Amino acid sequence: MNGTDLVALGPLLALGAAAVVTLLSIAVRRHQRATATIAGLGLVAAACALPAAADVAPRQVTALVRIDDFALLYIGLFLAAAFATIVLAHDDLRRRAEPHREEFHVLVLLSTLGACVLATSTHFASFFLGLETSSVALYALIAYPRSGPAHAEAGLKYLLLAGASSAFLLFGMALVYADLGALSFDGFAAALLAGRGTPALVWPALALVVAGASFKLAVAPFHMWVPDVYQGAPAPVTGFLATVSKGAVLAALLRLFVALGGVERPVVVWTFGALAVTSMLAGNLLALSQRSLKRLLACSSVAHLGYVLVAFLAAAPVALEAVTWYLVAYFVTTLAAFGVVTVLAGGDREADALDDYRGLFWRRPWLAALLTGCLLSLAGIPLTAGFLAKFYALAAGTSEARWALVVALVVNSALSAFYYLRVVVAMAAPAPAAAPARRVPLGAGVLLAVLALLLVGLGVYPAALTALIRATATALS
Amino acid sequence: MSLFALLLLPFAGSLLTAVLPTRARTALAACAGLVAAVAAARVVSLYPQIRDGGVIRETVSWVPSLGLDLTLRVDGFAWMFALLVTVIGALVCLYARYYMSPDDPVARFYAFFLAFMGAMLGVVFSGNLVQLVVFWELTSVVSFLLIGYWHHHVDARRGARMALTVTGAGGLALLGGVLVLGHIVGSYDLDVVLGSGALIRSHALYPVALVLVVVGALTKSAQFPFHFWLPRAMAAPTPVSAYLHSATMVKAGVFLLARLWPVLSGTEWWFWLLCGAGASTLLLGAFIAMFQNDLKRVLAFSTISHLGLITLLFGLNSPLAAVAGVFHIMNHATFKASLFMAAGIVDHETGTRDIRRLNGLMRSMPRTGTLALVASGAMAGVPLLNGFLSKEMFFAEAVFLTAHPTVEVGLPLLATLAGVFAVVYSLRFGYEIFFGEPSTDLPRHPEEPPGWMLKPVELLVVACLVVGVAPSISIGPLLAAAARPVVGGDLPEYHLAVWHGFGAPLVMSLLAIVGGVVGYLWLRSHQRSGRLNETPFFERFNGRRLFESGLVTATRLARRALRLVSSRRLQAQMFTIIGVAILLALLAARGVPLVWGDRERLPASHEFVLLWVIGMVCAVGAAVMAKFHRLVATTLMGGAGLVTALTFLWFSAPDLALTQLVVEVVTTILFLLGLRWLPMRLHDPSRRTTMRDRVRRGRDLLLAVGAGAGLAALSYALLTRPAPQSISPFFLDRALPEGGGTNVVNVMLVDFRAFDTIGEITVLGAVALTVYALLRRFRPPAESIGRPQQQRVLPSDVVTDLVKPRATGERAGGYMMVPATIARLLLPFSFVVAAHFLLRGHNEPGGGFVAGLVVAIAYLTQYVFSGTRWAEGRAHLLPPRWIAVGLLLAATTGLGAVAVGYPFLTSHTAHFTLPLVGEVHLPSAMFFDLGVFAVVVGATLLILTALAHQSIRAHRPPAPNKRTEAS
Repeated sequence: MNGTDLVALGPLLALGAAAVVTLLSIAVRRHQRATATIAGLGLVAAACALPAAADVAPRQVTALVRIDDFALLYIGLFLAAAFATIVLAHDDLRRRAEPHREEFHVLVLLSTLGACVLATSTHFASFFLGLETSSVALYALIAYPRSGPAHAEAGLKYLLLAGASSAFLLFGMALVYADLGALSFDGFAAALLAGRGTPALVWPALALVVAGASFKLAVAPFHMWVPDVYQGAPAPVTGFLATVSKGAVLAALLRLFVALGGVERPVVVWTFGALAVTSMLAGNLLALSQRSLKRLLACSSVAHLGYVLVAFLAAAPVALEAVTWYLVAYFVTTLAAFGVVTVLAGGDREADALDDYRGLFWRRPWLAALLTGCLLSLAGIPLTAGFLAKFYALAAGTSEARWALVVALVVNSALSAFYYLRVVVAMAAPAPAAAPARRVPLGAGVLLAVLALLLVGLGVYPAALTALIRATATALS
Repeated sequence: MSLFALLLLPFAGSLLTAVLPTRARTALAACAGLVAAVAAARVVSLYPQIRDGGVIRETVSWVPSLGLDLTLRVDGFAWMFALLVTVIGALVCLYARYYMSPDDPVARFYAFFLAFMGAMLGVVFSGNLVQLVVFWELTSVVSFLLIGYWHHHVDARRGARMALTVTGAGGLALLGGVLVLGHIVGSYDLDVVLGSGALIRSHALYPVALVLVVVGALTKSAQFPFHFWLPRAMAAPTPVSAYLHSATMVKAGVFLLARLWPVLSGTEWWFWLLCGAGASTLLLGAFIAMFQNDLKRVLAFSTISHLGLITLLFGLNSPLAAVAGVFHIMNHATFKASLFMAAGIVDHETGTRDIRRLNGLMRSMPRTGTLALVASGAMAGVPLLNGFLSKEMFFAEAVFLTAHPTVEVGLPLLATLAGVFAVVYSLRFGYEIFFGEPSTDLPRHPEEPPGWMLKPVELLVVACLVVGVAPSISIGPLLAAAARPVVGGDLPEYHLAVWHGFGAPLVMSLLAIVGGVVGYLWLRSHQRSGRLNETPFFERFNGRRLFESGLVTATRLARRALRLVSSRRLQAQMFTIIGVAILLALLAARGVPLVWGDRERLPASHEFVLLWVIGMVCAVGAAVMAKFHRLVATTLMGGAGLVTALTFLWFSAPDLALTQLVVEVVTTILFLLGLRWLPMRLHDPSRRTTMRDRVRRGRDLLLAVGAGAGLAALSYALLTRPAPQSISPFFLDRALPEGGGTNVVNVMLVDFRAFDTIGEITVLGAVALTVYALLRRFRPPAESIGRPQQQRVLPSDVVTDLVKPRATGERAGGYMMVPATIARLLLPFSFVVAAHFLLRGHNEPGGGFVAGLVVAIAYLTQYVFSGTRWAEGRAHLLPPRWIAVGLLLAATTGLGAVAVGYPFLTSHTAHFTLPLVGEVHLPSAMFFDLGVFAVVVGATLLILTALAHQSIRAHRPPAPNKRTEAS
């Protein structure tokens, strides 16, 4: 490891240092705004380290980590999402009036660090390390508020289920290593493609790895925890969980599959295709009858992962581009949606039930308009980022002539439009007796405005992002 | 003004009107009308460029990677549509100024209205199929907003939602179709697609693309079986209906069919799909329209019927029919917009739209009545009006079509029948409400509307008349320009004239008119006597019910799916995850038999098998008991740990065994100490185990056994194979020469992997501090403080220490005297043992970690037997200092190597001879190990202290209040 390696690792190091500094600052004095500022500055510092790292990219730092444009793009995305989470959480934590609100930020930083490691990992060891770093912090984040049992229940469920799934993942990795003698993605792929492994060991092992990763992605039938955890977690954490945690696992999977030279094998296509279709169906059907916005978004996220998998199954360059585009659009939309949920919370409870949104257009027109934009984007209506994302997924599906998946995608999109619109219709309904509204704090307001701009901007003028993603996709493949 | 500017103009106007004061009706109408008029003027000025089949193209790059460019393309057909969109838009703006009530938020109306106009222009101008879909969906969304404009009406909201669901879903189908087309052609550019007709029609995916595109078009144009949303959309304000549901949005569907006519038509698929849908819609819509009593619903069903006619015309695969279709699009837009406006005026002036209540309005509003009469004449197909011309062309096509005999006979019949129906509902609209005895019970006294409100209607009706009387002069060139691109460049022979000579088409027209009048009189007499007020027969199975029952079914299915695929119970969630993971693994292993490897096996002995059976029983027992009895579970876990230690010993790994043993002891003791403070298990005796529970548990057991067996089989298969590459030889070979010790494990810890060890002991210290910090404020609940159950049941008069221990002051002097004494005696011995382990660690089993744990165990026993107060009263343990000293020592050792020029943590082994002792083996790693020792002692003791101190704290108040805890 030399100086250049350290520069390449700069963003990760800055993020780790930021976590430590934040923790120490809490030891010196408890002050929520100061801690949030330090954590935010840490994220900014990590982001500032990105260009320097980009100059030395692509670079393999040890066997574990590879810094290339792909990784840096994802790291940037995670940093931005973490920043948004911290801004939103500032509002959320203040409202809750809990004691000990400061450590929240450390956890966000650590979880983001794990996610960034995942995006850079080229080795099963760093894959697992990143995954666990990201998850362990999330357990605490989900159960962070101590008022009421719902948060604790959500945290505990996530802990136990994620533990079980991690066990499968780890066992699968162990089997892979024991049979092929390689843990790096490249070594593993080379050994596998050379036919050195014992099929009876390697394939079940990979199935277990897929199962473990599917849990993190919340792909049906590993999705059952999603509604409970989404609902139980504080809204900013839910946004973080939905975006960063899933995006990181997808990034690592993309790397793994690129190393494997795509997903040409029929068994892989069938497995992921089946996962995609069940996710879409299960997610959308479940979402139809939800009475809570957070649960509804949770179910819809299951469906969206199904759409992403359709893109994932295309040949490598298209898949990279499509998945990344989808993720960016999904990040923007989801963060904005949960941002609205966060700032709408009043008193001692979150705005979760659909009834809380009745007549929102007449009470909070801007927030309602933004939420509508988010829902339309999730439904894939044109001029929002979500449309192009969905279009990418469809184009990826058609490029490989996977008609069954394309049809499933189209049908499910139609199905999903119904429940998204139900929320919009509820918001447009006559307002009930108006509850006193909390002012939107400045930080959150600015953030939501930026997200709204992105939501529409990406839908109208996608060229810049496309060019960026294309450059990174070629870097990886 | 470029095309892009023209396209952006309505959107800009939309933004402008959105920010104007919401009640400024005149200003808003003027602004919107001006925008529409300017756009219309610009469209008109494009005419010379497209008149002779010219095409205007403008392109801006959007997502080039996906073949998505913003391309605007105007040919004659698009131009004609743009003209309809802008001119009728401008007229409706004027009309709406008078129609909308002063209480309505008019700014919103005009903003949406102009946005819709922009979206519609976008559809029409699209030179790229994907872009067309984008604007297509945009029209759906904006129409949702417009239909739901009076959002306080539940009808409006529902109607809007239904319209959007149907047309939005259709748009998705269209998107799918467009993607398939793009896949076939390799481009989404309209010009390229239009040039690849033969390629597309011969492609295997042609039916897929066709069905998807047609579904998109049929939903938009409200064609059977998707026609049901249009009548519900009549909840919109009438200007919206006049614009969207006559001239523009519903025409988008047929626009698409015409647009792709050169590419997709000419096949059996096309013929049957479109003729089937078109013919059934034509007849069905006209039939239902006859029985409607709401003015707007009559018009809605008539629109459905007329769109069916247009669809049918395009479906006939004949260029002449296609020209007729284009012609009818124009005619229908003109007369239907005026009719909607007339209906709106009637509604506005009388306060009702019920045909049964409206009568004899001619007397009070003669101008409106005349206009409505003429327009409904056009709708009915009366000669000298524009509707007659296109209908005549249709009749001609129906008669001269060469196809299957049933079609040849059936189609003219069907056409005539639909003509009859059309006359009937036109009479009901135009004649019934304006003639006869004037109604007296109307909500408002009817009078003529303001002159400007009638102007748009007048203009449109005049257009109907002019076209109807002198078609070849007025509309001829326009029609030619518009129809040429549709049929692919070469116009067929046709004559636009009122008089074609006496032939079959004219006979059909006359039959339709006569039959219609007779039918109207017949129907009226029935309705006057209270019959036939509802649509017979068809009311029963219409698409709306299908739609709604579909939704209900979907909801019910979702509920069932909810129960099946989602559960809030952790048990079910875990079951699914494990089950599916195992299933996936099984599927992956399908077809590849698991065979054992050929590595040499160690002989099994009975003792060892027995040992493992015991260990497994302990482990399973611990898992089962964890729910029912924590103490037993902890003990059993210790048993399993012990078997593990013995296994290590069995395979000649005494160092591992030793470590495992002491770790087991420490963790068990700490567990036990911690258990003391956990609340009692809540046991509900009323909850009985049901059959269901037993089944569930049996199922879980099966899954657990299956999963365990599977993983075990995989592990076994792995163990029977030679490991591909192992790192153990590396360490075994180098431990002595490079690390200077023969205990490989210890050498790895303090030398090869010393860096890891430093990290680990740091973590250990941090964990201990965390435990301490977490438990610092913990107050045990009251029920954990009292005496244990067993001691509480004793009678109070028994006074010995043994049976009533709390009576004595200090535990170490009481019933614990004997074990406490033994434990105290053990303390110095354990120090000696620890020192022994520490010193010989480099070469023999032992080391700092084990030594630290031994000391920790010795202290733990003191706490357990003698009590916290006693132990701490006699020894100053200061665990944090142990940790600090240990860490410092380890770090200093490492830095020492740096000081003499070696990398961090390099070890050096010194051998020298001391008198009496003999040769001494003193590696520098010894100091490092000492650091490990200190950290382990400190960390364990700190955790211990944290737990033990609970007993000397005040317990929580008996009635805990959640609020106080949170604050």
